[in-house]
Amino acid sequence: MLFADGTNCDAETAHAFALAGGEPETVHVNQLRSGAKRLADYRILVIPGGFSYGDDVASGVILANELTTSLASQLQTFVDRFDTLVFGICNGFQVLVRSGLLPYRPDLGKRMSATLTTNDSGLFECRWVPLAVEESCCIFTRGMAGQDISLMVAHGEGKFVTGDGCLDDLRANGCVALRYGNNAYPDNPNGSCDRIAGICSFNGRIFGLMPHPERFVRREQYPNWRRERGRQPDGLLFFVNAVHFASDPHNFTA
Amino acid sequence: MIQEVRVTTPGARDDIAGKTLLAEIRHLGITSVTLVKTARVYRLEGITAEEAATLALRLLSDPISQVAVVNERILGGAPVVEVAYKPGVMNPEAASIMKAAHDLGITGLVAADSSTEYAFYGPPIADEVQRIVDGLLVNKTVQRVVTATPATLLISGQPGACRTIPLRTLEDTALLELSRDKLFLNLEEMRVIQAYFRQADRDPTDVELETLAQTWSEHCGHKTFRAKLVVNGNPKEPLITRLKTAAAEHGQLVQSSFVDNSGVISFFDGLAVCGKVETHNSPSAIEPYGGAATGSGGVFRDIVGTGQGAKVIASTDIFCFAPPDLPAVQLPAGCLHPHYLLRRVVAGVRDYGNRMGIPTNNGSVHFHPDFRAKPTIIVGAYGIMPERCCRKGKPQTGDLILALGGRTGRDGIHGATFSSGEMTDRTINVNASAVQIGNPIEEKRTFDAILRCRDRGLIRAITDCGAGGFSSAIGEMGADLGVRVALERAPLKYAGLDWWEVWVSEAQERMVVAVAPEHAAEVLTICQGFNLEATMLGEFTGDHRLTVTANGQTICDLAMDFLHHGLPQRIMTARWQAPRRCEPTIPHPSDWAALYRRVLSHRNVCSKEPIVRGYDHGVQGTCALPPYGGVQHDGPNDAVVLQPIADHPYGLVISHGLNPVLNLIDPYAGGLWAATEAIANLVAVGGNPRECALIDNFIWPFPDEESLGQLDRAVDACVDVMRAFKVPFVSGKDSLSSTYRGKDGTVIKIPPVLCVSAFGRIPDVGKTVTADFKMPGASIRLLGTLQPSAMGGSVYYDLHGHLGTVPPTPDLAALPGWLYELHQWVCSGFVLALHDISEGGLAVALAEMCIGGNVGADINLDALGLDARPDFILFNEMAGCFLLEAGPAQYEDGGLDFVSFPMRVIGKTTEEPVITIRHGGHILCSIPMADLKAAWQQPMKEVFH
Repeated sequence: MLFADGTNCDAETAHAFALAGGEPETVHVNQLRSGAKRLADYRILVIPGGFSYGDDVASGVILANELTTSLASQLQTFVDRFDTLVFGICNGFQVLVRSGLLPYRPDLGKRMSATLTTNDSGLFECRWVPLAVEESCCIFTRGMAGQDISLMVAHGEGKFVTGDGCLDDLRANGCVALRYGNNAYPDNPNGSCDRIAGICSFNGRIFGLMPHPERFVRREQYPNWRRERGRQPDGLLFFVNAVHFASDPHNFTA
Repeated sequence: MIQEVRVTTPGARDDIAGKTLLAEIRHLGITSVTLVKTARVYRLEGITAEEAATLALRLLSDPISQVAVVNERILGGAPVVEVAYKPGVMNPEAASIMKAAHDLGITGLVAADSSTEYAFYGPPIADEVQRIVDGLLVNKTVQRVVTATPATLLISGQPGACRTIPLRTLEDTALLELSRDKLFLNLEEMRVIQAYFRQADRDPTDVELETLAQTWSEHCGHKTFRAKLVVNGNPKEPLITRLKTAAAEHGQLVQSSFVDNSGVISFFDGLAVCGKVETHNSPSAIEPYGGAATGSGGVFRDIVGTGQGAKVIASTDIFCFAPPDLPAVQLPAGCLHPHYLLRRVVAGVRDYGNRMGIPTNNGSVHFHPDFRAKPTIIVGAYGIMPERCCRKGKPQTGDLILALGGRTGRDGIHGATFSSGEMTDRTINVNASAVQIGNPIEEKRTFDAILRCRDRGLIRAITDCGAGGFSSAIGEMGADLGVRVALERAPLKYAGLDWWEVWVSEAQERMVVAVAPEHAAEVLTICQGFNLEATMLGEFTGDHRLTVTANGQTICDLAMDFLHHGLPQRIMTARWQAPRRCEPTIPHPSDWAALYRRVLSHRNVCSKEPIVRGYDHGVQGTCALPPYGGVQHDGPNDAVVLQPIADHPYGLVISHGLNPVLNLIDPYAGGLWAATEAIANLVAVGGNPRECALIDNFIWPFPDEESLGQLDRAVDACVDVMRAFKVPFVSGKDSLSSTYRGKDGTVIKIPPVLCVSAFGRIPDVGKTVTADFKMPGASIRLLGTLQPSAMGGSVYYDLHGHLGTVPPTPDLAALPGWLYELHQWVCSGFVLALHDISEGGLAVALAEMCIGGNVGADINLDALGLDARPDFILFNEMAGCFLLEAGPAQYEDGGLDFVSFPMRVIGKTTEEPVITIRHGGHILCSIPMADLKAAWQQPMKEVFH
């Protein structure tokens, strides 16, 4: 769990991984820079939600810049391994997009092919939204395709916008992992193109999404659990899949 | 050399900032502007144009949606206005740009700044651009219009000075002149200070006078609450004594009350929870965004500054404004329009809480025209910590004083003394430096480091730098021992501050901790790991003096005893007389459907969901019962339930109550109502009325005899509530400056506000209930006894332009037992839905439950057996009454019945989304839910579009 100034969803994300059987450890970006901790010693890199460096200039950009300069070689090596996962939630997704890891490009940090920009409403939107899990190569959503789930969004800059040809590439390579359930506001809370809420790299190992799966890993976190008694915590499966993969990358099945 | 980078989002559709501003321009009534475009401007000092181009491409712009240029204009063909922070107002973005440039290998950057340009397209009408700038873009207390590129971004200044003030020889008039607009002390207090220095045979320094003024301010000294009172000729105990005495009688859960930065009660498993509710009215009145943001920042610091440090787990916000459609001519001179205030205050609370990762999940907004002269901005926070570190720490002789967090600047000078003064038409001009913008990420770093230090056992005592800055924080922490401070060590944002300014500056995001010498190195290491500045300022001496030096020169040398106990106790007289009004005659309604909609769209009733959607109320993953729920997530709940420990089911319930209008009739009734409402809200979601604590906030006009008489009654109400419910107040705050005095002699007393917040523990968040109806065909029951003859202060009377004379009065003898009985039924799980009755009465509670459940209802008022007009039954605002949904007969309802709490079955929920109300054998009205919901949602949608 990568921690920087302004990271604020680290504790609940760590809890979600622990529930899923993982062994989360929160590492400050300074510890990676100083060499006190090394990415090489981990299987999953999580960039949790928050306001890294206050989202100064634009959401996630200062941390993305740090990852693609001071930490570039560590990160490249980590991503190039076959047995690793990268998971960006909300601000973490913004960081992955601004560092060029999503949509995935091999030339880390050199170019972005999509962006996450200000919500169409101009407002910070905190609400539960319906989501459709798509057929994709995403490790994190393995076995969930076709499900309609509910998660909370909480962001001001979550409108997914693609550059030339990018959207076709994402679709063709099965990289659209998660869509908002409807295109109309507020179910599509930010005006994302093609209702895109989460995407992955072509190998399925790098995944970013705007909604917060870590906020629905227990029944009572869902506002209407009292009316929908049978409802399972939709967010937990993302973490379970990640931990299963990391435990045994060769034999991963959902 | 300064390089300028400009970045814009081409395409009118994608420039969201421009679109948002255009909508606000429309609200100003300006139609000539048809398009607004915006651009960010970055000024970078010390680098080449090529390096600026690299930053523009790699850092400052987004190649997918934006374009950037270096050293040229980007917006044109229309009037362009650039708005920036004033020099000296810290722009948090600057530090991030410096860091990122360094990461990119651009090391020459010595300073950076950012600002925004706006271009206004349409027929050019110059004075309209000026109106937009004045009304929407530039708050002159912190911002300015940039007309030329500055020569440098670096702020220079001469090192600080310290002056001696010839006080001993001053006459009374000169003493008062010295105090006015600066010290805010009265003549008697100035004379006591004069006598102290005559005794000492020297004149004071400006540092000493400022220290005394801060410590003795109403804000810090609570002079009115500590005063001996004479009410209607009869002596009474000081207000604070009455509150503390009654609180001490019910302290079973209390760990710490009225002594630390927040009140602390036991939670479960060796944990404690704490709460603090603050006001930030004066700063918010003149700079609502920064004022509200730093209000949140301050109350968060109160939580982390409790015991040896608590984790902040919740934020609350309660506001009172004039109606957002107030005609501009009714706005007093020097006051900002409520539409602007409301939007900017909400934005300030939103941005600070969201960035800190603290869920804002309980609050309310109230409207009354008399708030036009000054809004009421109440911000609360709650925290959790191990019991072993929940009591106020005591420093020991030899301990070191460390300052953590942000640097000190000229921002926030005189906040404590300023907020204790009345608002006048001079306020905006004279007190600009009292306003600050916040930097929540600085505060986040500070809290991250403090909690790590706490867990390592490194903190002996901690407090926040709030009102009075270092002067109050260090002066108070060292009250028993004495301290010695080397002020030149304090890190400054820029040079040029006088020493007294460094000493009293309320620059945000600073904490002071007492650390044993052997732990100092580890604290510094931890802070460094979080990119946090930590500085050793001095030590605790044991000499019982407050000694401050600057480069070896003594600039303050006061006896702690005089500083903390020299303030003379005031003797104040109060007078209470019930206002003389006539009970109005209200015509019998004819169009019930229209009436129902009008009540639902009254601003004190309507949905506040658009505000809540802007607050991240789910962060930390703790929310077990949110502010809005139900089928479409738009039905309101009465309180919030948090599950602060992820792997335990323990719940923290947070609620509040207030009704400023009732205080205009009788503050005793208003006080009872507020406290009852807070406790009823807590019970309505499953809170235990016997395991909670209360927090008071008195926001009162300047305490003249009449206002003090009202305050006395409100305090008596709080005392009676404590004795009836057997629950204590554990923390409180008074802000006695809600009077406006205009140049023309206008005096506006803002309505007195008593806000009561409640927080309590429950063992299992699974045993809680929401307000949305769960199914059609269920029975709807009214709990409690309505008082249809007590319509005073009601929304219904207000719609007719009346206040009334008889406020609803809760039955303090019976209600505590009733609420406990209700609580036990909620725990049983047989209550499907529960909602308390408050503003708008039964009719509003019913509509809100139907909205949440996406069902209708059919009720018969005859079932209540009341001999009263149906409108008075429907709209009576009796706090402590509830609507309850229980399963239909064919379902198991556990025999849901009440032994003591009066209960009547009044109807049932229906599949058809219509509310039908019967009375006297007839149908009064039958209204589609869609109409009612639209009326209820419309008012705030208009403000927060």
